[in-house]
Amino acid sequence: MISIQLILLIIFGLVAIWFGWRVFMTSSMVRSALSLLGSMVAIGALFLVMEAEFLGVLQIMMMGTEMSIMAVFMMMYMMDPGGLGNMDMSHQKNLSIAAGVAVTVLITGAVLFADWGTIVTQVPSPHEQNRLLGMEILKRSMMIFETAGVTILTGMIASIAVALSIKSSREK
Amino acid sequence: MELLITALIIAAILFGIGLYGALSQTNLVMIMMGIELMLGAAMVNLVAFWRYLHPEAFSIQMFVLVAMTVMALEGAVGFAIATQRFRTSGSVEMEESAELKG
Repeated sequence: MISIQLILLIIFGLVAIWFGWRVFMTSSMVRSALSLLGSMVAIGALFLVMEAEFLGVLQIMMMGTEMSIMAVFMMMYMMDPGGLGNMDMSHQKNLSIAAGVAVTVLITGAVLFADWGTIVTQVPSPHEQNRLLGMEILKRSMMIFETAGVTILTGMIASIAVALSIKSSREK
Repeated sequence: MELLITALIIAAILFGIGLYGALSQTNLVMIMMGIELMLGAAMVNLVAFWRYLHPEAFSIQMFVLVAMTVMALEGAVGFAIATQRFRTSGSVEMEESAELKG
């Protein structure tokens, strides 16, 4: 029997795939960034369909911000951000297509032939999920969560250090 | 069962598209977009495993949060490298970065 959840999963899945495909099929960099935004929002919608409400909303908000920043960087760094010149920015296309198709076929084969055991139909309610995730973060996974926080701080410092303009002593 | 399989196949296709992008693009920002798609596919897998196999295991949702952290950091460090590269060579085309080989 086809459930509403399955229909929504297929619809948002197709949207995510279509936008994902559009990312590499347009010569406009801004459109690429916006297509990736569409794909990430569709992935967030997939999370919502799979009843992971907190992660779904977090994904949509985080990726909305990140992809908007990405679009700004695109405009800054590209010679032709609007894609008016139709410049091709790809190489080893056949090899890449072969690798992409081979990996997809391999994973799909593994998915179809694996024994996944019993499927669970009931999940905790959204507020119970949030409580349990909070307990997980503050108890068993606290070290992992704190490590992620320190990693973000390290990443921020490393990014600023890398992006700083290096001037020689003569220029000073 | 079909719900889990559908979600995993969607993730497999997204991963394949991301891999194609990461391998085929010459622009650093476009390569990063391919990697973001692959990480997105990994997160779909994780949420599907949580939802349909172990909804009681919230360490899986924790793992998704870590994957989101990796995505954000990949973006930050990648853009920092792109900024520095653009300053030094005026371009973020990776085919012009052959001197990085040493």
